[in-house]
Amino acid sequence: MEPILKLRNLKVVFPTNFGLIRAVESVDLDIGDRECVALVGESGCGKSVTSQSVMRLIESPPAVTRVDAIEFAGRDIKDYGPKQMQEIRGKEMSMIFQDAMTSLNPVMTVGNQIDEMYRRHQGDSKKAARQKTVRALELIGLPEPTARANSFPHELSGGMRQRVLLAMAFACMPKLIIADEPTTALDVTIQAQVLKTLRGMQRGCGTSLLLVTHDLSVVASIADTVYVMYSGKIVEKAPVKDLFTAPQHPYTVGLMAAVPRLTDEKRKFTQIPGAVPHPARKPSGCYFHPRCDYATAECKKEMPPLVKSGADREVRCFHPLTAGGRQ
Amino acid sequence: MKSAYVIKRILYSIFVFAVVITLNFFIPRIGVDDPAERYYPPQGNMSQIEYEIIKQVTRQQYGFHVSTWQQYLNYLKGLSRGDLGTSFRPGSPAVIDLILERLPWTLVLSVSTMLIGLTIGVLFGVVAAVKRGRWQDTMLLNASTVMVALPSFFVALILSFYLGFELGVFPAYTDSTMVSSFTWTWESIARVAENAALPVMSMVVGSIISYAQGTRNAVIAVTNEDFVLTAKAKGLKQGTIRYKHILRNSMLPIVTSLGMSISGLIGGQVVIEQVFNWNGMGTLFLAANNSNDYPLMMGIMLLLSGFTIFAILVTDLVYVLLDPRVTVGDKR
Amino acid sequence: MKRIKGMSLFVGRLWSHKQGKIGLIMVSVLILVAVFAPFIAPFNPYDVSERTTKGLAPSAKHWLGTTINTGQDIFSMLVYGTRVSLVVGVTSGVCIAIVGSILGVMAGYIGGFVDTLLMRIVDIMLVIPTLPLVIVLTNVLGRDFWIIILIFVALGWTGLARTIRSLVLVLKNSNYVKAAELAGASRWHIMIRHILPGTSHLVIMSTALSSAGIMVAEAGLSFLGLGDPTAISWGKMLADAQSGGALLFGAWWWILAPGLGIFLAVFSFMRLGIVMEEMANPRMKQTSGVYKLFRSLDSSYVEDVLNSMDDYQQIGVGRPLEKGGATHGTNLEA
Repeated sequence: MEPILKLRNLKVVFPTNFGLIRAVESVDLDIGDRECVALVGESGCGKSVTSQSVMRLIESPPAVTRVDAIEFAGRDIKDYGPKQMQEIRGKEMSMIFQDAMTSLNPVMTVGNQIDEMYRRHQGDSKKAARQKTVRALELIGLPEPTARANSFPHELSGGMRQRVLLAMAFACMPKLIIADEPTTALDVTIQAQVLKTLRGMQRGCGTSLLLVTHDLSVVASIADTVYVMYSGKIVEKAPVKDLFTAPQHPYTVGLMAAVPRLTDEKRKFTQIPGAVPHPARKPSGCYFHPRCDYATAECKKEMPPLVKSGADREVRCFHPLTAGGRQ
Repeated sequence: MKSAYVIKRILYSIFVFAVVITLNFFIPRIGVDDPAERYYPPQGNMSQIEYEIIKQVTRQQYGFHVSTWQQYLNYLKGLSRGDLGTSFRPGSPAVIDLILERLPWTLVLSVSTMLIGLTIGVLFGVVAAVKRGRWQDTMLLNASTVMVALPSFFVALILSFYLGFELGVFPAYTDSTMVSSFTWTWESIARVAENAALPVMSMVVGSIISYAQGTRNAVIAVTNEDFVLTAKAKGLKQGTIRYKHILRNSMLPIVTSLGMSISGLIGGQVVIEQVFNWNGMGTLFLAANNSNDYPLMMGIMLLLSGFTIFAILVTDLVYVLLDPRVTVGDKR
Repeated sequence: MKRIKGMSLFVGRLWSHKQGKIGLIMVSVLILVAVFAPFIAPFNPYDVSERTTKGLAPSAKHWLGTTINTGQDIFSMLVYGTRVSLVVGVTSGVCIAIVGSILGVMAGYIGGFVDTLLMRIVDIMLVIPTLPLVIVLTNVLGRDFWIIILIFVALGWTGLARTIRSLVLVLKNSNYVKAAELAGASRWHIMIRHILPGTSHLVIMSTALSSAGIMVAEAGLSFLGLGDPTAISWGKMLADAQSGGALLFGAWWWILAPGLGIFLAVFSFMRLGIVMEEMANPRMKQTSGVYKLFRSLDSSYVEDVLNSMDDYQQIGVGRPLEKGGATHGTNLEA
């Protein structure tokens, strides 16, 4: 499977009054053709920054970004100028943001905002663009698409707004869609509907999907491969089934234990002790060691490398969990 | 929904104007039993009987011989005919005529200040927002820190001193024949412009900076909004993002602050007109104050307040045009 | 005791802020000058009998020169003028803070008719041009010092009341107020013990800002010759300068001195107010901060930080190459 995106050694830091914030530390990411990759982590772990860096949306200044390669659809876009990036954004890769209320321009009709995609990237006239917009809204499952296109964002429900964002992202049939917490702001029932639509659209259009989320249930339902991120670093990468059946990193284990399950009443709902380290004051060695039950002296001193730990799997831990217990 | 909001705003403006009219009627009557005393205070060299006679005449002349309630109704009746009362000036000219004579001259100053201030201010503000953190922005920040503490009449005196007297670039005082000899010729208009230069400059510096600061903050606030990131992620061109998405949304707070600033602008102009002896409503108002010419003073007050109410109403309605979210639930 | 401690803590926080320190120092100097005016001023500012000193430029004897028509010492006048500005400004500022916060809390907490009435008054005051209204009121009520302050307070409370009202509407729905209500505390108790303290930062800030605003207004009023006629004030000095021929005879010191006096007084109070605003609400801060930080970054330090993130460097060995699929670690070879 030829990857559509190969991100190599991405680093992002921000200056703040408390010192440099190390948001992303040497992250590699591979997304295959038509694959759905999930990037999972708690808030503040750098997953949104990583996803926005892929589209080169992180502004520098104030951020400082270093990356060895952003290979997208066979070419390295890391040194592309603003004009070249504008051609790619929206057309070949697009983004779905978390909060559709604030992510849509409040004073433009949603139709006009989707029209912009066709007019910009396909050179359509106003009329042709609107026709495509209505079709896209219909495809995404919005009732009365013609009337809805003339609505303003505040006149739609949360689920409808999120669907509008979906329609916008899929408008030009991009090769890659980045969805940053696409369902977090929604009610659980609507969440499922929107996810189903997203998955269906992704399959139907043959798009690759990078799903950024903190919600493991979302991951389980649609992802193929999962990257777990902690405090700016990838700590585990695995195919979704393997990750859920045999997590290797203690952090991943902790995340899963924190998800309440109805099926298994005896298992206690647990949580990881402590909190994510402040990005300007990270601990020495492995960033997870202060919260880790299995930490040893080695973990406090050195950052473990990300090593291959199975078929298509990688883990960043000196003492990874294996199917048969600890090593 | 929208028309309901518009109607509500208009009705509310009318209500506010009605209250202002009532205040206007009662303010000169504060603290005196007989309004005639206010309108014609006792003079030292006058005997009691003389003064009583004068008061009697004043009562008749200004309609104080009826009850206060009846006076109020008469006042309203007069207003509905556009009659603001008669001035105390010799010959008892109608207040409305005195005001209308001065109105165009005041508007010359305020309209040009407004237009120049708004245009340059918004432009500056956008530049400062785009060049955020660089020298253009720092300059605006420093200028606004200084300007808010500099009274406009002090700026006026400095300009009058330096550009007027020392360098002689512009007239330091308004030419007294400017008004009487005005005709609709280019020459005459140029003369007005020349005389208006310093008063407008004194007011415009402050208004440029305050509009620029407001615009800058509005533009930066909007630039940080999520939908701007969406627009970027859509691959829209820089210009499209700036004009269609950022500026359009930044206009909302600017329009609101415009309405709010009008009352202050009008008040400030009174002092500036006095500095340059400009033949406008401000100097008319101060002259009326000095001669206790209440009908004239209150007439000007009413007109200024009415103008402010109208201006705020207009900015409110413009806001409705710009922001689809406004509904009957009030925006303030 | 608690109050005093809180107050000194607050001043301490202001002091640790660079701009706040400047404001504090300037305000203290102004207060000292106002209090000790007779000791600081080298001449009697009211003395108009000195015929020999008319229109002198600044010199060692007359630091800021003298007036043209009466020969008064301008520096001495400036020192005495501090009194009017400060007393009118600060007294009105404090009264506005008291009246504005009480009415604002009432409007926000009691709501209903009180709220409607107060907010209608605010709306109406907004449309009447302030300076002309002040002039009319001084005409009707007189130009006594205290009456002028009273007028400023009567017209000045609206802005603060409106801001406090919106804050109170937020506080009213907070859990601690709800808890107090459930515990059976009376309305007045809640208003005074729970809501009013929550607005204190706004009230203190607005005292500084409205004092500054009133100083400008007072100067304008005396400039128009409508202030207290017996006092020496900076606005009146400017008016005298204009009518006394300062412009015509090039007596720049006569204009500059009182103008800068007004400027410095207003500026220092405004600085204090703005610093307090920033302290209470850090988001108000100029957002250009991060851009300045970005430019002040030490590039070699940034480089060190970036390098320290590298897996390869930290571990000292290259990452193992995978068989097939994406080959991680290509960067090392390249």
